Amino acid sequence: MTEATHTVKSYEQELERLRSLMARMGGLVERQTARAVSAIVDRDEEAAAEAPELDPEVDSLEREAEALAIRILALRSPMAVDLREIVAALKITGDLERIGDYASSIARRAMKLEMENNLSLIGLRNMGRLVQENLRRGIDALTQRDRDRAIEVWQSDTAVDELYTAMFRELVTYMMEDPRNIGACIHLLFVAKNLERIGDHTTNIAERVYYAATGEMLPSVRPRGGLGPTTVA
Amino acid sequence: MSVLAGDLRESMTSSAMIAVKNLDFYYGQHKALHGITMDFPKRKVTGMIGPSGCGKSTLLRVLNRMYDLYPGQRATGEVMFDGRNIVAPGMDLNRLRARVGMVFQKPTPFPMSIYDNIAFGVKLHEKLSRAEMDARVEDVLHRVALWSEVKDRLKSSATALSGGQQQRLCIARTIATRPEVVLLDEPTSALDPVSTARIEELLDELKKEFTIAIVTHNMQQAARCADQVAFFYLGELVEIDSTDRMFTAPREKRTQDYITGRFG
Repeated sequence: MTEATHTVKSYEQELERLRSLMARMGGLVERQTARAVSAIVDRDEEAAAEAPELDPEVDSLEREAEALAIRILALRSPMAVDLREIVAALKITGDLERIGDYASSIARRAMKLEMENNLSLIGLRNMGRLVQENLRRGIDALTQRDRDRAIEVWQSDTAVDELYTAMFRELVTYMMEDPRNIGACIHLLFVAKNLERIGDHTTNIAERVYYAATGEMLPSVRPRGGLGPTTVA
Repeated sequence: MSVLAGDLRESMTSSAMIAVKNLDFYYGQHKALHGITMDFPKRKVTGMIGPSGCGKSTLLRVLNRMYDLYPGQRATGEVMFDGRNIVAPGMDLNRLRARVGMVFQKPTPFPMSIYDNIAFGVKLHEKLSRAEMDARVEDVLHRVALWSEVKDRLKSSATALSGGQQQRLCIARTIATRPEVVLLDEPTSALDPVSTARIEELLDELKKEFTIAIVTHNMQQAARCADQVAFFYLGELVEIDSTDRMFTAPREKRTQDYITGRFG
């Protein structure tokens, strides 16, 4: 329903600007997440250093997007699809900023992590791959305002949760086997948790994209696969 | 034409005060309304929006048969109000207009005192004692929040009031005859923001007692005041739904284009 353009051209330009700020933020946090995963599973020090360096730019884009959204709300009194898009943008930029923070946190942990060779990183590698893939598709859904893709992304977070639960069990097992693993495993547990959080924020983005596109909210309860981690301990 | 009113029925539990069905309206040869079907629920505010010439004011003028004052204008179809079709012949128009009051875009005080502006219409329909009339005037002036501003100069001319005060006086005059329905045709478009806010505040009070239909070009005003909103375009009712739905997620592309400012 959005192909027609506004009679007021500057309004159209402001909306375009808001979309482009979100797209740039999306690109940056995708990069941060990819580098963070690489920092852990490939032990890539360069990647570990790069992810946090992108934070200031993400933060500044978020502030710029927020200021622009407030300006549009104040000056244009947006309605219907425009209103939904702007409110969604305020929330989505918040989610993107959090994703960037989690990615940086993972990367910083990678620098501290001293690991014995007996720990397997296969689970984290899979989880990282899936979280990145969902994030990439979530940002595609955002830039293309694609409701179908938004639903796909929203549904596929279940798999991330399952992987997280599995990671939790695996890391607890390592710690019980040998207390010398505890230090590294605690770090890895936080990494897994941060990846799971990135997955949740990606889901939020998908929900907002869907709402902006359709005016309907996705149901508040998504079909959940994995057991909650608290039930494992 | 498509009217999807599923949500509306859920949110509008009160019954229809006025039920319009298959209404056509003609200015001479020109057909200005095409098969309008909609309800005005009791004690709710119905907002009517659409570009100039879309038929919203025409429909408002049908509801109290204002059009009868002009030759060559006619309506066919059904407008049921209190069990009668008001567009059918044989209506008592004076009685109808007392029960369905109207307020116009520009304040239209009569060139007489504030007191007489209100008493004038009441006298046409009711025989009140002096004390009863005083009480009626005071009551309606209180209700439109004008009493404290004019109580010491009830005998001075209404035309000396400010625009916003004049419009509130016109609303007081309209409700003084104790109508069931109040029609407002862009009641605030000639007023400053403070006066506009006062009128909007007043609408909130009035809807406890009256069924209200308001035509407005101010989308935010419709969003703030109305319980349901109808969008008209080229003499058709394009969409009618709860205000919430209409301004956050309208179903029709034409509605969306209009309210978001994408009209070519």
